[in-house]
Parts: sequence; C-alpha cells; structure tokens
Amino acid sequence: MEIYIHTKRFLSGIIGVLLFLAIPGTVFGQTEVPIINSRIDGIVTDSTTRQPITGVVLRIKGVTHEVVTGSDGRFSFVTGQKLPYTLVVSFIGYKTKEVYATGSPVNIQLSDKVSQLNDVVIVGYGTQKRSDITGAISTVPKSNLSQVSSSVDNLLRGAAPGVQVTQSSGQPGASASVRIRGGNSITGGNEPLYVIDGFPVYNDNTTISSSAGTGGAVNALSTINPSDIESIEVLKDASATAIYGSRGANGVIIITTKKGKRGTNDVAFQTYYGLQKISKEVPLLDATQWAELRNDILASSNQAPSFTSAQIAAFGKGTNWQDAAFRTAPVENDELTFSGGDEKSRYNISSNYFNQEGILLNTDFKRYSLRFNYDRDISKNFHVGINATTSYSTSQGAASNIASNSLNSPNIITNILTTPPVLPVKDANGNYVLNTYSTTPSNPIQDLLSIVNQTKVNRSLGNLFAEYTLAPGLKAKVSLGADLINSKSNFYAPSYTGDGYSTLGYATVGAASSNSWLDENTLTYSKTINNDHELNILAGYTTQYLSNESLTAGSKDFVSNLTSYNSLQSGSQILTPTSNAYSWALDSYLARINYSYLHKYNFTVSGRADGSSRFGAGNKWGYFPSAGFSWNAGEEDFIKSAPVVSNLKLRLSAGETGNQEIGEYQSLALFSPFNYDFNNTQVVGLAQTQLANADLKWEKTAQYDGGFDLGLLDNKINFVFDAYYKKTTNLLLAVPVPLSSGYSLSLQNIGSVENKGIEIGINTENINSDGFVWKTALVYSENRNKVLSLGNNETSFFPTIPGTTLGVLQPEIIKVGLPLGTFWGYKTVGIFQNAAQIAEYPTLNSKANTKPGDVRYQDTNNDGVITTADKTNLGSVQPKFTGSLTNTFTYKGFDLVVFLQGSYGGKIYNALRQQLEITNLSQNAWGDVANRWTPTNPSNTIPRASNNPVAQMSSQFVEDASYLRLKNLVLGYTFTNAVLTKIHAKQIRLYVSAQNLVTWTKYTGYDPEVSSFEQNNTAQGIDYGAYPNYKTYLLGLNVTF
Amino acid sequence: MKKLLLLIITASILTACNKLAENPTSYITTTQYFKTQSDATAGVTAIYSELISDGTEQPLYGREINFLADMTTDDLAAGPSAINPNVRALSSITYTATDDRLQVIWRQNYTGISRANAAIDAIPTIQFDTTLRSRLVRESKFLRALFYFNLVRFYGDVPLVLHNPADASNLSSLNVNRTPAATVYAQIIADLTDAENLPSSYSGADIGRATGGAAKSLLVKVYLTQQNWTATVSKALEVINGPYGYALFPNYADVFNPATKNGVEHIFSAQISSNGGLGNSSTLMGANFAGFVGNVPADIPADSSVYKQFSNTDTRKAVTFYTSLINPATGLVYNFPTFYFGKYVDRSELATPGQSNINFPILRYADVLLMYAEALNEAQGPIAAAYAALNQVRVRANTGNLTPGLSQAAFRDSLYAERRREFVQEAQRWFDLVRTKQLVQAVSKVASKTNVSTKNYLFAIPASEISINPDLTQNPGYTN
Repeated sequence: MEIYIHTKRFLSGIIGVLLFLAIPGTVFGQTEVPIINSRIDGIVTDSTTRQPITGVVLRIKGVTHEVVTGSDGRFSFVTGQKLPYTLVVSFIGYKTKEVYATGSPVNIQLSDKVSQLNDVVIVGYGTQKRSDITGAISTVPKSNLSQVSSSVDNLLRGAAPGVQVTQSSGQPGASASVRIRGGNSITGGNEPLYVIDGFPVYNDNTTISSSAGTGGAVNALSTINPSDIESIEVLKDASATAIYGSRGANGVIIITTKKGKRGTNDVAFQTYYGLQKISKEVPLLDATQWAELRNDILASSNQAPSFTSAQIAAFGKGTNWQDAAFRTAPVENDELTFSGGDEKSRYNISSNYFNQEGILLNTDFKRYSLRFNYDRDISKNFHVGINATTSYSTSQGAASNIASNSLNSPNIITNILTTPPVLPVKDANGNYVLNTYSTTPSNPIQDLLSIVNQTKVNRSLGNLFAEYTLAPGLKAKVSLGADLINSKSNFYAPSYTGDGYSTLGYATVGAASSNSWLDENTLTYSKTINNDHELNILAGYTTQYLSNESLTAGSKDFVSNLTSYNSLQSGSQILTPTSNAYSWALDSYLARINYSYLHKYNFTVSGRADGSSRFGAGNKWGYFPSAGFSWNAGEEDFIKSAPVVSNLKLRLSAGETGNQEIGEYQSLALFSPFNYDFNNTQVVGLAQTQLANADLKWEKTAQYDGGFDLGLLDNKINFVFDAYYKKTTNLLLAVPVPLSSGYSLSLQNIGSVENKGIEIGINTENINSDGFVWKTALVYSENRNKVLSLGNNETSFFPTIPGTTLGVLQPEIIKVGLPLGTFWGYKTVGIFQNAAQIAEYPTLNSKANTKPGDVRYQDTNNDGVITTADKTNLGSVQPKFTGSLTNTFTYKGFDLVVFLQGSYGGKIYNALRQQLEITNLSQNAWGDVANRWTPTNPSNTIPRASNNPVAQMSSQFVEDASYLRLKNLVLGYTFTNAVLTKIHAKQIRLYVSAQNLVTWTKYTGYDPEVSSFEQNNTAQGIDYGAYPNYKTYLLGLNVTF
Repeated sequence: MKKLLLLIITASILTACNKLAENPTSYITTTQYFKTQSDATAGVTAIYSELISDGTEQPLYGREINFLADMTTDDLAAGPSAINPNVRALSSITYTATDDRLQVIWRQNYTGISRANAAIDAIPTIQFDTTLRSRLVRESKFLRALFYFNLVRFYGDVPLVLHNPADASNLSSLNVNRTPAATVYAQIIADLTDAENLPSSYSGADIGRATGGAAKSLLVKVYLTQQNWTATVSKALEVINGPYGYALFPNYADVFNPATKNGVEHIFSAQISSNGGLGNSSTLMGANFAGFVGNVPADIPADSSVYKQFSNTDTRKAVTFYTSLINPATGLVYNFPTFYFGKYVDRSELATPGQSNINFPILRYADVLLMYAEALNEAQGPIAAAYAALNQVRVRANTGNLTPGLSQAAFRDSLYAERRREFVQEAQRWFDLVRTKQLVQAVSKVASKTNVSTKNYLFAIPASEISINPDLTQNPGYTN
C-alpha cells in the first residue's frame, strides 16, 4: 500500500511534468518574426585585468531582451529597439553598470564589486535583491569554495560570521559538525539543514550507514562533489529560515550548483595533485624510557624488574610506531566539465574523480561523480530544468576496536600509540612481531594493513522543475526531487589481528538504503507599482518523505582468513543479524510576503506550517512565523550627502523556527527484544522500553536579530554587523522519571537553552592601483550558549558518553546555567611530595592507599575529604570567539590568497593523553611520563609510576583548544591572451596551494580541532584517539577551451 | 490552458500528501502487544532477561548485585583497576546517596518488576492454554518477588508498584512513595505462595525457568530473614522432602562448571552462556580475569581473612580462588602474586575475555540446608537434624563433620562461618551479615573498611530518585 501510494504520487508528478513539456509544442509553438531596428557590437572586459569576461548579461533597460558575451568577451545585440538606448550590463561578482549606447562598437569595462548590494541572493524558495533583504544571510566567498576538501561542510570553516565548523577527524571523507549561531538542542540534532538545488537534506551520517563497520562515520555530504558548487548562502536569522519551519532552527545552508553560461560552449579540465603529511606526531616514550618505566611500575608493587640495566641500555630509541603507521599520502582530483548555453537553454555536465589516500596506512576515500544540470525556456513563459548528480564513493576507514573483544584500547590510533617501543615492527624474517605485552597479541601495523573496514555509497540526488508564468508577475513552479542512497559496509578482522584474535576472525557486512522524495509546488507573484512599491508574494505546498532500511549480518571463527567478509557462511559462529526500518513524512504549507517601498523600507513576513510524522498524535502540526524589517538608510538624502558613508542599512527580525531532528517513533510506546538463555539456547523476549507521549511536539527557537550593513568610502570598506538572541524552549529532552516506574527516561518538551552573540564581517579593498589589488576579509563570531532549564526539578545530568572508560569518567555535564559541552571533574593541585602532605591534605583514596607521588586534588567544598562532590566546572568546549582573516592579492596574472582561521577560548578533553598517562605493564606512555615523580625528581605535574592507576576526570586533561591556523595559502597564475590563443584555450590557470601549513596552538594532542564522537551533541570536544589532522601541498591546473 | 495547469498543480498537491501517522515497521508498539500466547511467553522471557542483561550497565546478577552484597563486606574489595569511584566508595563504605551503583541496582530491580507487572496484568486477558497461562503468571510472580526481596532488604521501605503507568502524559503520576517493609514482605509472600504451584521441574527448552521448588526455597529465605523459624523449618522441609530431587554435587567445583549447569544442586540460577549467548560481555570475566599482562582484576579479596578461612583440604578453596591461569590460546601458564576470585572465571573462555558460560547461582541446595540448620538451631538448639544438614555441606567440601555437642551459640558461629566459606561472591554475605546483625563488627575488621557503621544496615535511597520525587524519604544517616 505504502509503495503504491508513493509510486502513484511519483507517477502523477512525472505525468504532470510530461504534460507541461507537451503543452508548448502544441500551443505555444508559434514564434513572432522579429523586427530588426538596430545592431551594436562590443566587448566587455575587466577594469583591472583587462581580460575579456565571458557570460556577461547585457539587457536594454526597460526591455526583457538580453544577450550574453561569448568566450572572447564579445557580444552583438540585434534588436527591435532603436538607438540610442541604455544597456544594463551585469555579471556576478561585478558592479552592475548602465551604459548609454549610441552605436557600435561599445567597449565596456566592469569593475569588481566590493559591495554586493545589487546582487541577487538566493533565499529559501526563491531569490531576492540583496538590498531588499531583511534577514541575516551570508554568502560564502569564492576563495573558500576553491579549497580542497572531500565535502562541502569543510569549506564553510571561517567562511561566514556565525558559522562554526569543527572537523571530527582527519580521516578522508570524515564529517564535520557545523553550528550556526550555536547549538540549540541537547538531545536533538544541531546540524543545519542543507538545501542542495532546492532539495532539503539533513546531514545525518547514520542514514548512509548500516553500522556494520567500525570507526568514524562516512560523511553523507562527501558524496557530493564540492567543485560543482557555484554558491553557498548561509541563512541565519528567523526572517531567513522560518520559511523552512521545523527544520530552520539550526540555520539553513543553501547550495546552488554550477549552471552553464549563455552564449558559450566551454570544455573545462581541472586537476590537482597533492601530498598530505601528518601535522605533528605526539610525544611518546622511547624504548629505553619505557623499559625504565616498566621496571618502576613493577617496583611500585614490590615485583622484580623485567629488564636489566644492560638490556635497557641496548634498547636505544626503539621503534617509533607513529613513523611506521603514518605516511605521506597523495590526494588527486580530476574533473571534466562541459558547460554552456544559448538564449534558451543552459547546460553543465561534469564528471569528477577524487581520490584521497589517508595519512594512516590503508585508509582512503574515493569518489566518482557525474552531474547534469540543464534548463531551458520552452517558451517565453515556460521554463523547465533538472539538476542532478550521481556518485559512487568508497572509503576504507581506521577501525575502532570492537568493544567486547578488546580489553583497553578504543581504536587503532591508541593501538599504535600504546604498542611498546621495545618491539620491532617486523622480525629478521620479515614477519610482523606480535605484541606479547598485550592480552590479545597483535601488531598494529599488521592490523592496519589487514583489517577491512570499508563503506561504499551510491547516491543520486536530483531535482526536476517546471516553471510557468501564468500572468505577468505570476509564476507557478512544480518541482520533484529524489535523494536515493544505497550503501554497503564490509568489515573483516583476520584471526591474527587484535580485533579478530579472540574471535578467530570476525566479519560483518551491512547494507542500508535511504530514499527521500520531495514534491514542491509554489506560486510567486511580483508586482511593482509606480516604481515605488515592490511586492513579492510566495505561497506553496511541499511534502517530503524518507524511508530507510538497513541490515547487518556477521559471523566469526573462520577456518581461513582468505574469504574475508565475502563468505559469512564460512564462519563457524553466527552473530545475531539485525535489520531495521524507519520512515518519516513532512507536509508543509509555506508563504512569504516581501514588500519594499522605494527600496528604502523593506518588510518580510513569512510563515510555514509543518506537519511531521515524528511527533505525538496530538501535536503533529507546528506553525513558524517570522517578520523582518530593513531600512536602507544609505538611500536617504541626509546620508547620501555624507561623504564617507556610501551605504547604510539597518535590519531587524524576529521569528520562530523549529527542530524535528529527534529521530522516529519517539512518541510511541515501543517494545524491544530482551533475550534469555533457557537450556543454553537463546530465547527472544520483548518488553516495553518507552512510555508513550502523545503530546510530544516541536522544539521551538525564538530568535531576534538586529544588524547593520555599512559601506564606507565608495564601498571600499564594508561592515556587516549582527547581534542576536535565540531562546529554544520545549526542548525535547529525555527527562529522568522515577525508576520505580520501570522506566528511566521519558521524552518530554521540557527545558530550554539560549544562544546569544554578535557577528562581524568586514571586507575592505585596501589597494587597487596599477593592476595591483589587495583585499581583506575578516570574519568574527562570538556566541554564548547556556542551558536555562532542564525541567522536572533537574539541575544537571551527565550525558552518556560512548565507551566504557569514558562512560564511567563522565567527563561532560549538562547543567543549568552552564553551556553545553561543559567538562566536569576534579581540579588537580599538584603531586603529594611527602607523607606529611598526605597527612595534611584530603586525599581521594584512603590515606593508607595514598603514597608520595600520587595526584592531589582540590577539596573544592572544603569538607576535608575528596568525593565526587568536589568535581567542578573545568571549562567548556564553546569557544569565546572564532574568526578568520583572508587576504587576497592580485597583480597582472598572479593571485595570492592567504587564509588564516582560528578559534579562541574553547577547551578540549585530551582523553588520548589521559589513556597514555595511565602507566601499566602493557602499554607505552605519553612522553611527559619520562618526567614522572620520583623521590629524586619531585615533579608537581606527573604522578609516580604505579600499576594501572585509576583514571580520574581532572583539570589536568582539559586543555586549551585555542588555535590559529594558516588554513589555506594559494598562489596562482592565469596565463595571458597571447599564450591562450596559441593553444586555442579560453583560460589557463596554474596554482600551488598549501593547507594547514602552520597551526599555532598550545594543545598537546594531534590537533585542537577534533571531536571523537562526531555529531554527538553531548560528547563534543573529546579527543580519544581521533584520526590526526594533516598538511596538504597541492599543484593544480585549470584549463578551459 | 491556465486552467489545465492549475488543475495539474492541484492534482499534484492532492496526490502528494504524505500520511503523518507513524507506523513503525521495526518496532512493536503497546497497542499491538500482549495479544497471543507467544506474546505472553516473550513478555515473561524479558523479565528473566533483566537478571543477566542491561542495555547500558553491567547485569544485575553476576555483577551489580555483588557490588552491594559482596563489595561492601569483609569478602571483597575494589582492586586498583576498578575505574568507577562509586564502586570504590562502596568498597570503602564511604558511599553516599549519589552513588551511581545504588541507582543502577534500584533501576534493575524495578525494571524487572515493571516487566513482571505487565505480564501479570496482561497475560490473564489472553485466551490460550490455561495451564501454560497460569504457569507464565506464576513465573512472573516468582521473579517479581525476587526483585522486591532484593529491594526491601537493600533499601528497607520501598515504593510498592504492582501496575504499570499507561503513558507519560502525566509525569507526576509516576511518583510513588515508600511502602512499609511489612507490606512489601506480605506482597512477596503472596506472590511466592502462588508461585509454589509452579512445576517441580522442566525439560528441554524450558530448563532454567522458575520451579515450585525455587518458590519454596525463596520463601525459606524470606521467612529466615523475618526470623520466622517455624515457617523456615517447615518450608525448608517441603523443599528437602518435596518432589524436586535436590542434592549436593559430590564435587563442589560442579556448582560452577558449565557442563553441570542446572544440575541437582541448582534450584534457581541466572542463566549465562557465551558464544553469541548472553554471557557475551556480561563482564563477569572482565572483572575477575586478571589477563595475561600482570594487571590486577577489578575485584580482589578484601583482606587475607577471606582465603585464610579455608583449610588447605577444603575443596572450595581452589574453586573460589586462583593463583595461576593457563592461556588456552598459547598454553602458557601465568602465575599471580596473590589470590584472585575464580568462581566465575570460565577457563574454557579465557581467550575471549568478557565471555562466560558459568551460571550465577541465586538459590542452591547447600543454601537451603544451611538455612534449615540455622532455623532449627535458633528454634530448638543444635539438634541432630541441624547437625546433619550442616555436615552434608561440610563433608562435601572435604572438611569433615562439625565437632559434636556444641552450644547453641557455638553452633550458630560455626554455621555463620560455614556460610561465609560456602558462598564467597554469591551475593549472600551482606544479607547474612545484616540478618545476623554482624555487619559492623565483621566489616570493621578490614583495614580499608573501618567507616562501616549502623547506618549501613540499609543502603541509601538513590538521591536521583528523591530529586524527582521529593516526597520520598531518605534512610537514617544519609543525606541527599
């Protein structure tokens, strides 16, 4: 039935479009014979570089007829209009110019626009003139889009005020977490909504994973080629995002892919090749130091030393396992694009091959993708098009250890680091040496090379639209889209690896498919009255449906490792297979009215009604209104007359948006399996795990924004300033209920979180003379996040952190009055130097079990004992501010981009260092353990050697995550006309670039920009052996014919 | 033309409306459940499941219950690798009401009760074989009684919840205040009395379910705890002379031998099996297995008194402790510098740490014999029948008959000592010390546990529970 409905819907959509297509052939097929009254020819060039510009649109003022410059910048206008007339010349990135034409030839020079005032900006379900906008919308600069990245989210870093991007790890294809104006939700999703060519996608990596593999998730956005992107707009305030209703609260990122340019037929080839290297290695003990440590640990429990001093001396430095595991890895990208168009149609066909090898052995990400964008004016009233991409990507990721098989080490990175340096990688016969100090003897390099942990994803994302002008100013648009994802995951740990040792070979496979359908119907009406009043009305209905199915299967105990994951039937023990399915639907009505008076006073009112399947039966529908006002004060005479101020615009907006990212079926009373073994045979039991809550409803975020745009000195200096306040209420929070009810938690609309902050964007043109241009862009964002209430008498709780050790340590707290991502633990005072100090100060363990050299913690409540009540706020992951600085220099054919990006004031919990400072007999230790406390070396930071001391969450491992990074450095040269003509090319650009060249930070781990638990809101800022970050050096070539 | 277009758009909108009602296909919801015989059986299986599995924490039997019933006594202590400070606080008797283990054990017992409540209320409404139907209800009652018996002994007065909430629309309706212990005991006895009618044994796929003998044995323990000596003796005799065929294994090691699971001595056990079974990652092993790298396990003897109480001829000593292990993967022998607990170390599964095939005995015949002997001694003095029951246990352990002619007090002391030797790590010690009023005197002998005081005769009500329902009162001596 379900299938029938969707098929029917899709078919009816297709039929609708086919009908649209059929109409013009029969009814609108006649064309008028044009009357020619004048012809002018000319060329459009760049005012600084004197290069011809392709694709410039020239229009006769007051008339719709337009032409486009060809690849040589030339145009010719044949028209029924009589000379003279005014030509309006416009091109993205340049100031629009009006030229009074009296006859041929017309040579027009366009100059770069620093101010983008008259730009058309893409907004939700339409476009708007930048001057008329009332909301807070940032456009990501082109220089950010030219960075090398496997996915678009990583391009947003430092790109716009209010956008904070944290990559989870350096693994190829890894995800990033993106927060627009802070995180609103505690248990729900906080990622923004991505709208890719009109298709809304929530970047939930779990939709592409069946959870058969281990380790970091594959980033769902990495399936889309970032070089296909023409522009990215970030919608931040309620005026801009309320049109996305229940999905607008986290901000919206609108991605528009490249379209062909009219009047051209271009063939472009773009390629780059680069090398990546680990940014830095972490300090570890060498073989001599480790052997000494092991003897000290044994001595601490009165056991005999395991190494003689002669043995220790002979060890020397031993093996550097990091050198053995990391490599210089290539990254390569090739693209071939055919694009162009004529007066009636535009096309862009591209193909892409991207191959990034990871800096860790045997890790990679590859993508093959195709794009087809096409649109055509079937008649002057009828416009159709398609934007579609399909891709196949594969990745081999660094494995996490399977929890039940591993005694201590959480993942391959910790395996590498903890392997004792006294062991060689291989023996004299070339066989891998197994780590005999570990309960499961294995070799991390062999593990890396032989464990299969791959995910293959096929994704097709496309949107088909037809737009018809029903009457002057009234347009109807129907668009149908689909996002189809199929993935397969494979995992195999051979019996000789750490993960497969105890199970004698361990294989799992999984498959997931996720299908999303979109149907969107909008009507827009624009009307200009007396040139004073401009009215733009949008109304629409859209519906989206997603269904996801996944399964996993596996077995273990293999006779032979040869069949890998491809022969589960060869395993002698079957793992419990799993399968899962869910679906959601969203029905929405939306409307927006823009009204502008004299382009000075602009009003926007928008609203959306969303019905979501995810909510309680009684609260399916939510309503999300917003209003915005802006005043182009710069157009007022009293400012126009001011010599310095060239533009001033004040903006105010308010509105409500929602968040529906809570997963499915949360309002229902669900049963889950709970099994038991009768007579050694497992029997399935079922019990209710969740109390029904029919009242479950939306998380609502009320947002207020005030800001101004200021242009000075003929817009050579531009400021954009915003201040905002967001309050999220009705938080979907799993609140504790009395355990005597049989349940622990119930999902309720309780609690609230606020975010407030300021954002500054400054763009300046510092020098523009004699062909030398120097421009600077500064982005600054400050956000303050605070939990206001948790409901039900709760003042705080510890969110569940994955992993046994971290789960017990409870490193993060969610507490009223503190921001999300607050670290909570003991404050370390120093090290107990002697028995007198132990007697004098409170101790964590009993005085009898405390020895000189143990850590001393602060008795914060001064009750004379150290208990969990002494745990306190150790700072939060939230930075005080983030920002970026981009300097762009162009001179003749050269261009240089220097992009600095940074974050200040956030904290990070270095769980990796903590793991490596737990001295025990089986693992290597962090470098500073060499400086541990001994009676002769009275360290006040590093405790004495003892056998496996208990880890405590303490200030010692909460580090400053501030950093400043030379994120991107690009030097390019664009060849001159003379060279180009020789090889019949339109453009050739050669460039070298370096990414992450330098990072200034105090953080002692691999990289301060890390999140081992990825998009998990309540476990942010934890570095537990995440894949390290790397530097990249690239050489690239773009050729257009 | 325009009309046609509008028509198409209208049609597109109308056909495209998605249904907003949720129909989960990978879950079962309440409205669909407890309709058939197999629903009823699965509902009861889920109650058993709570004995040995937990979604986020270690399981009740084999781990969590030992934290309260063994770790806080003179038998066990938290080893240096015990990472949870709350466990170490229990070990040193410095725990407070915020101790997370108190909350976990409270939750696990109430989760089991909630599943039993659902089964007891729903199963009689389903039409199927009446014999099976009443058996399933009685199994549920046995388990509910077991969970309440744990709670009432650990925490004293506890909320008595016998019917589950319908939904979460009114959170404050979930708050239930403490019910006097006597009322809770009355409910336990009522449930167990009905459960006495359970089958005396099972065969095939039902082995491991609660029997009538298990219900009677648990009643023996309830009466003994209430110091109702007459009822204890008569109920114990029903177990001993009943149609159950209980006996001691000739060899003590067979109590913990996977090959002799659910044997003659086992009255009721938490069923654990590895290799895809539920012994996976039950962490019994993780806690008790020292590994082959010189680490110290999480649970260690509280002091030397635990192993010094065994004579070298006592066959229980080699089962209760190990000092060396063989890695079955490599054949290498590992010797440890001291005694570690060995009852739940599955020697056949050492290569797969975290797995075990060893059941956790909740009620076994040796316990019934010792309870019978104890009640007889209290009621009638050390008569021959009391000696005979105690000596069965001693002889099996190769420690010979108890000196004849002891006074009532001396017999009592010998019996208490026998219980300690017999049940190390079987979640009996704390209950015995509390029942016999020896807690403070016994535990304070351990150097690291001198904080023990009379308030520890009950554990604290979990602070989190009181913060949700401020009407819940705290036990004496604890603050929230």
